[in-house]
Amino acid sequence: MSIAVIRFPGTNNEDDVLRALAQIPGAKPYLVQSRKGLAGLKDADGVVIPGGFSYGDYLRAGAVASVDVIVEGIRDLAEDGKPVLGICNGFQILAETGILQGVLLPNQSARFVCKWVYLKVSEQTTLFTENIENAVLRLPIAHAEGNYFCPEEQLVPLWDEGRIPFTYCDSRGQVTDDANPNGSIDNIAGIINQKGNVLGMMPHPERASRPLLGSTDGLQILENFVRATK
Amino acid sequence: MITREELQHATKVLGREPTKTELGMLDVLWSEHCSYKSSKRWFYLFKTTADNVALGIGEGAGLVDIGGGYYVGVAMESHNHPSQIDPYNGAATGVGGIIRDVISQGCKAVGLMNCLRFGHPEKPHNAYLLENVVRGISEYGNSVGIPVVGGEIEFDESYDDNCLVNVVCVGYVKPEKVVRSSARTPGHYLIMFGSTTGRDGIAGVSFASETFSNEEEENRGAVQIGDPLAKKVLIDTLSELIEEELIDGLQDFGGGGMTSAAGELARAGGTGIEIHLERVPLREDDMDPSEIIISESQERMLAIIAPEKMDRAKVILEKNDTTYAVIGTVTDDLQYTAKYKGEVVASLPISLLVDGFPVPERIEGKITAQTESLSWFKEPEDYGTTILMLLQSANICDRSWIYSQYDQHVQSNTVVDLGENAGVLEFPNGRLLAFTSDCNSFWCKLDPQTGTANSAAESLRNLVSMGARPLFIADCLNFGNPERPESYAQFVESVRGLGRFSHDFDIPIIGGNVSLYNETVIDGKNRRINPTPQIMISGIFNQGFNPIKRNLVTPWANIFLVGETFPELNGSEFQRLILGEVKGIPPKYQPTTEKNSMNAILEAHERGLIRSCNNVGRGGIAVALLKMVLKSDFGFKLNMDYIPGTINSIGQGLFSETSSRYLAEVTESNQPEFLKLIEKHGTTCCELGLTTTDPIADFGRFAIRTSDARKAFSGGLSKYLE
Repeated sequence: MSIAVIRFPGTNNEDDVLRALAQIPGAKPYLVQSRKGLAGLKDADGVVIPGGFSYGDYLRAGAVASVDVIVEGIRDLAEDGKPVLGICNGFQILAETGILQGVLLPNQSARFVCKWVYLKVSEQTTLFTENIENAVLRLPIAHAEGNYFCPEEQLVPLWDEGRIPFTYCDSRGQVTDDANPNGSIDNIAGIINQKGNVLGMMPHPERASRPLLGSTDGLQILENFVRATK
Repeated sequence: MITREELQHATKVLGREPTKTELGMLDVLWSEHCSYKSSKRWFYLFKTTADNVALGIGEGAGLVDIGGGYYVGVAMESHNHPSQIDPYNGAATGVGGIIRDVISQGCKAVGLMNCLRFGHPEKPHNAYLLENVVRGISEYGNSVGIPVVGGEIEFDESYDDNCLVNVVCVGYVKPEKVVRSSARTPGHYLIMFGSTTGRDGIAGVSFASETFSNEEEENRGAVQIGDPLAKKVLIDTLSELIEEELIDGLQDFGGGGMTSAAGELARAGGTGIEIHLERVPLREDDMDPSEIIISESQERMLAIIAPEKMDRAKVILEKNDTTYAVIGTVTDDLQYTAKYKGEVVASLPISLLVDGFPVPERIEGKITAQTESLSWFKEPEDYGTTILMLLQSANICDRSWIYSQYDQHVQSNTVVDLGENAGVLEFPNGRLLAFTSDCNSFWCKLDPQTGTANSAAESLRNLVSMGARPLFIADCLNFGNPERPESYAQFVESVRGLGRFSHDFDIPIIGGNVSLYNETVIDGKNRRINPTPQIMISGIFNQGFNPIKRNLVTPWANIFLVGETFPELNGSEFQRLILGEVKGIPPKYQPTTEKNSMNAILEAHERGLIRSCNNVGRGGIAVALLKMVLKSDFGFKLNMDYIPGTINSIGQGLFSETSSRYLAEVTESNQPEFLKLIEKHGTTCCELGLTTTDPIADFGRFAIRTSDARKAFSGGLSKYLE
């Protein structure tokens, strides 16, 4: 199905995402530059906002991109129930737009962090985690502002409604403080909107999509995303 | 600044006094940084050609054929002086500059490396420099979206006043898309695009070609300011222009700004150029023509475009919202003519401007002779404690505080991350290439020629231990003031060492940079950096071969030490730790034995006989062995009593830094074949012992818990940093 992969000025993971999606049967990913505006999303059955530094991440990560015209098109698609995936900077943009709740603060270390992490997949089935419930995945992260935070009144429903598909854990699946790479509340690595069709996550599934890269765990998330576009 | 002799020479050739603008142009292009006037005369010592070298030294990047219709491109450069003054911007623009060198050849940039030198981090100012250099590299490289795949760092007080920031960029290009840095056809247009031109980085190269004094603050304006977003947009625009083959020649604005960019294009093309300076898009309105022509503002490119391709090129530039201007034309008069509002402000023969400087006399002084004496050596009382001390030495310990700030995976081609002997990238033809860099400045200080050759050999072993065959070399030669005989002697000896190595191992040198004047006068006392020839080597793996890492992977396998060990502790990290300084003759460069062990290890890798492998370098066998257990679930049990060679004690065996040595993990069933190969290639080896399932590094007479080793290793650097 047709998947729009958005490139804002400064986005830099678009080729990685296009390449990873292209290996999945049935996926027809194509690049949409943000300046195309709403027209760029006309035929999209789903949208991926890849990582990078949209508009240089000046002001705050994702802040400038979140007021780009094309974002209104993404919001409409999300309201229509089409699957939307924001990875890293894409998650930051979705949080800035309010399509997803909460904010991504600077990492607790105040430094950029790039490393491999383990993710505990929640036991509740979501659109994006079919067949990998309860699994421990190995994916890389690379961000300076990935410290997820939201107030208690949002956090409780996130948990109650099974909208926290990924938490940082150790290699045995234990969700510990040591395994938290950025200070995120409750070790949260990704969240889903109320409707269940929009996922934002800091780790990079596209960078764990070929055996040569050291892991194929991310491919399963992308496969679920592609299936949901049908 | 331009010297009296140089000014006299220019006046004589011109038959008149140079104008103010011309004087500024000559000053930057005849600076050591741009002209290589003290160094170029020695480059004939390098091996520079090979069948697979498509483009050697001389343009932005060297290009090497890696088959399947692809060239790999590489460039290496220093950004030392700016980083000492303004570490964040200096390092960031160093990365920006090296990326431009590679993309200006038509390449897609796919990897970065950085090689750093600082004074010891326990001094707060050194820690400040390190933290901000790393942040500069990190924020710039991460934003532009190019992974960091390699690097190295060393600390010594000689870098207290002159930190070193050397950067490498790697890319690839299809042969038919290569863009050359030349303006070949009169009548073609000169288009500059990218950022606007401002006053930042005015005459940065001249400032980089002088020694520092106590008054550094005034040079802050000579440091450029980077803009990674502008660079990313520039890269995207450029790749469209290249894809449609609209560009006939291309040069980035680097050191020397427009003077250098346009001058070198004309020089390479055998043409002239005419530029209208008032057409240059400015950031500050009131700039003088003499400032516009030497500004080093970042993120700008100069393209040569044929008149019939202009319309299409303009469409692409405008579509990408890229600032551009048609600033001039290529001419056939061999002159660099610059006009400002119709008035000629500069008219210099290209041959005078680009390399018409009078070659300065340089005097090669004497290198202080060293002795073989080991009278300082005392057998350590507690080997375990000594090894833990080495593991936490700033020159050996874990560097993840630094490299975890670099995006290593963007572009999704990274096969081996940082923290191994080399970083490995996959290229679009399916081939894997390894990248590593090394320089032991302590060896180079004691004997620049041997130290340089041996640093290169250490780089080579990094690649070989993973199973890669060396492909090409790029270098960055950092030394003191060439006008001082002793500094100059270090430089010349080092070039001899690198030249020897390149011929001995038949590896072409395809790019590099020379950074001189890395010394500072403080209160009348001259302080010079250790000679620091940074040698980056890339290697290529056989098709289908999986790079071998250094952590032990099987229990009950044999650990072999390949190569002989001599009592070579002078210049070693052990000596530095015990004495607080290095002295004596450093480990010998032994090309023949080095080649034998290289060939044995490479063939053993080809036949799949080695499960894990490490080379022996800084800290000797002791450190090399512990690095094999730090990330492993396994330990080892060894007997160190019978090490081949001429050492006289356990301590000498553990800490000697003799070259040509490797450690290899070989399973029992592969042992006979492995031993046959060792014999076939005329090298020696001994079985040190076995891998075990216990997390203990057992050396026979003493043992270290892996957890203690890990703790020592991981805290060595981070304890000094925020």
